[in-house]
Amino acid sequence: MAEVRLDGVSKSFKGTPVIRDVSLTVPDGSFCVFVGPSGCGKSTLLRLIAGLEQVTAGRIHIGTRDVTALEPQDRALSMVFQSYALYPHMSVRDNIAFALRTARLPEAQVAAKVAEAARMLQLEPYLDRKPAALSGGQRQRVAIGRAVVRAPQAFLFDEPLSNLDAALRAETRLEIARLHRDLAATMIYVTHDQVEAMTLADRIVVLNAGAIMQQGTPRQLYEAPQNTFVAQFIGSPRMNLIPCAPDGPGIRLAGGGLIARTGAAAHCGIRPEHLTLDPTGPIRARVETAEYLGADLSLHVDAGADGRLNLRLSGSATLRPGDAIALGFAPAQAHLFDAAGQRA
Amino acid sequence: MNSPRRENAVLAAPLVLFLLALLGFPVMLSVVYGLSETTFQTLTRPRFVGLDNFARVLGDDGFWQAAWFSLRFGVITAVLQCALGLFLAVYLAPLIRRHGWMVAVLIIPMIVAPAMMGLMYRLVLHEFAGPVPHYLYAWFNYSPPFLNAANVFTTVVVAEVLQWTPFAFLLFLTAYQAIPQEVREAAAVDGTRPWRMFWRIELPLMLPTAFVALFIRFIDGFRVFDNIYTLVGAGPGGVTTSMSIYIYEAFLRQGDIGRAMAAAILLFGAAFTLLTLAQRLMRRAA
Amino acid sequence: MRIGTTLRWLVFGIAAFVMNFPVLATLITALKAPGEVSRNPSLWIEEPTFANFATVLTISDRLNVYHYLWNSTVAALIGAVLPVIVAFPIAWAMARRGVGRALLFPLVVNLRALPLIIFAIPLYLMYAAAGLLDTRLGLGLILAIVNLPLALMLLVNAVAEIPLELEEAARMDGARTPRLLWRIVLPLCRPALITTFVFGFITAWNEFLFGLMLTTQRAVPMTVGASFFFATSGGGVQWGVAAAVMIVAALPPLALGLVMYRRIAGSMVAGAVKG
Repeated sequence: MAEVRLDGVSKSFKGTPVIRDVSLTVPDGSFCVFVGPSGCGKSTLLRLIAGLEQVTAGRIHIGTRDVTALEPQDRALSMVFQSYALYPHMSVRDNIAFALRTARLPEAQVAAKVAEAARMLQLEPYLDRKPAALSGGQRQRVAIGRAVVRAPQAFLFDEPLSNLDAALRAETRLEIARLHRDLAATMIYVTHDQVEAMTLADRIVVLNAGAIMQQGTPRQLYEAPQNTFVAQFIGSPRMNLIPCAPDGPGIRLAGGGLIARTGAAAHCGIRPEHLTLDPTGPIRARVETAEYLGADLSLHVDAGADGRLNLRLSGSATLRPGDAIALGFAPAQAHLFDAAGQRA
Repeated sequence: MNSPRRENAVLAAPLVLFLLALLGFPVMLSVVYGLSETTFQTLTRPRFVGLDNFARVLGDDGFWQAAWFSLRFGVITAVLQCALGLFLAVYLAPLIRRHGWMVAVLIIPMIVAPAMMGLMYRLVLHEFAGPVPHYLYAWFNYSPPFLNAANVFTTVVVAEVLQWTPFAFLLFLTAYQAIPQEVREAAAVDGTRPWRMFWRIELPLMLPTAFVALFIRFIDGFRVFDNIYTLVGAGPGGVTTSMSIYIYEAFLRQGDIGRAMAAAILLFGAAFTLLTLAQRLMRRAA
Repeated sequence: MRIGTTLRWLVFGIAAFVMNFPVLATLITALKAPGEVSRNPSLWIEEPTFANFATVLTISDRLNVYHYLWNSTVAALIGAVLPVIVAFPIAWAMARRGVGRALLFPLVVNLRALPLIIFAIPLYLMYAAAGLLDTRLGLGLILAIVNLPLALMLLVNAVAEIPLELEEAARMDGARTPRLLWRIVLPLCRPALITTFVFGFITAWNEFLFGLMLTTQRAVPMTVGASFFFATSGGGVQWGVAAAVMIVAALPPLALGLVMYRRIAGSMVAGAVKG
């Protein structure tokens, strides 16, 4: 296992920049997730690390080696593709063994390693089947088995759960987490789903339009987002952003309410779970929709100049569309952002 | 990275070497011999005569007769094959949807070697051994001489059309089946009757295929050799001498290598021009 | 609608009968006793017999059909397999890396439209010098050129249809280009390889002009050999035997073609549309 380090990596396709000056370090043995909306460049970044694309500028290090000029075959990495990319004409056994045989390992060793990977991923009953005869989840495990068997310096995952249904996704997510614990391996994982990012990652790198918006632990990103993009990308339902401006000793919200905070703020962010029903609160709103989820009641309200907000109350609350309510929150819970969207 | 470039050269080598050896060298040879006077005895000592051969070819009535034949033959057979092929494809498509084996029966003619087909027509039209004259005499008391100077052009055209219509049929069938069913359904809901459906909707969608089919069949008709040669050879009075047969005869029957080469080079020029023109047309149409 | 269907069947029957008439008539003639043929040119066989086929299939001074069949088989095999071997590597390079897209690909593909006679003459002279005249190898080589355009087109398409991710996975698994091509790309191209081979074999077997020009005795293929039976124009042709020879000549491509016709139909269309 090794650490992966990117220094000033940029990538352009036909003059259009896709990755802009990205620098980051994935510590040895950690689970790092690249997350961001479609087209943000996260998959491209992964492919640059894998060597499937060449950087336009910058350097990539794996462990102590500078691999920037190396082909994928020489980087000692394993990749799990979104569509699994299993060799359709080979059995599961041969799929897993392919890389070992390419490296000219003696057949006895090959068989041993394949057996071990099969055991770890519960693939023993399927070893002689072809990929077409497997379910989505089974194919996923074969793809992982193929990656695991080579004992690479790091694992790369390219949106591995996108093609699975919801139940299977949750189950496989746990398996990947377990794999990380068992192997203590460096893993770089790409997804557009912030739930996967939050639950699996030691470190998250949030990307947008080819640049890093913020990197840190899940808790850091959730509790201290550095800009509005990260604030609204991490956390579901999204953080509410209310236009505001400094007013004397406090911050005045667009709808008129005053908050006991200071700062050069243009937007005041407040997470749905921090909004409470408060007759003396600074926000006046009318309920638009109330979604009853059993344990929670998810409300979407129209707060006039403060915008459309959402909040979460306990399921025992009884509010209906059309109800007029007043909302408040603890001033310390507010996230202030300036006009450029940066943390104020 | 440089390794792909070297690798690409290695990957391209078999094809390039193969082409150079089997085509490049012969092409050079044909230019040399086209510009020289040679006989089979003096193959290694060609005598340079400049454009003499070309002048002789262009002055030879036989050459122009052959060119005219190939042109007429190519155009007429292409049009007839495509018309018939289109009709069969569209008319029989509903049946074929349920009985795929019909396609196999209809494409048999084009799997048989054209040379064999020519011989088979010779048998079929033979005045003593052939069934066609036999039945014509029996029913109409008359059977035309199929292979005389007046009729032989029609005969070879019919033979070619009957053998290669299946090719056009296959092209049109595929294009017809490729029309999304939803297009037809939308038109049907709008109240379109079958004839209008064909004329206004299906045919326009198959027009690209029609161009391709016409072009390919014309090219194949233009350079025809096998079936005409085995059916009638050069024909009475050289009437069925196609361009290819003309060149063949000049080369092997008359031993006039220079003239044969010159004619071949001219033919190459014509075919190449036609090809580039057609591709440019198709690109503009696309 | 029933009238419509009946009419369609009628049209099909007529088209099938008329277009296949020569083949049918030849088959019928081949099944007539030698004496009957000139007496009875109708489509009705008075006394069906396999005598003509027996004559054809027995080796005699006049005819050794196995010699022609063997020549055709060897030449057609060379003409069908060689294009695949030559074209496969560059087909991959063309599909994945655009090698030769501007020049080489159009050049090879347009060969299809050029009258073969253009190459036949200089090739004759070249073969004469190289000692390849009247050899199966010589014939096979030129048949390979004839099949090259379609082979290249079909293989480039086949490679393009393989998902790129499979090749990327193989590269991550450490495979360099030779292993990638041999273990991953080639096996996945199998349907196209079969189609190319079958179509190429039929085309090569059916070739006449090159067989006529480039062979005289040792390497004469079946198509040319069959035509010898018609050399005496007018009288003196043993129609029964000649018919049987033609049926034998046409059988191998017919057998292959009818078994594989669905595949061949696709390749013909591909050859046409993408050409």
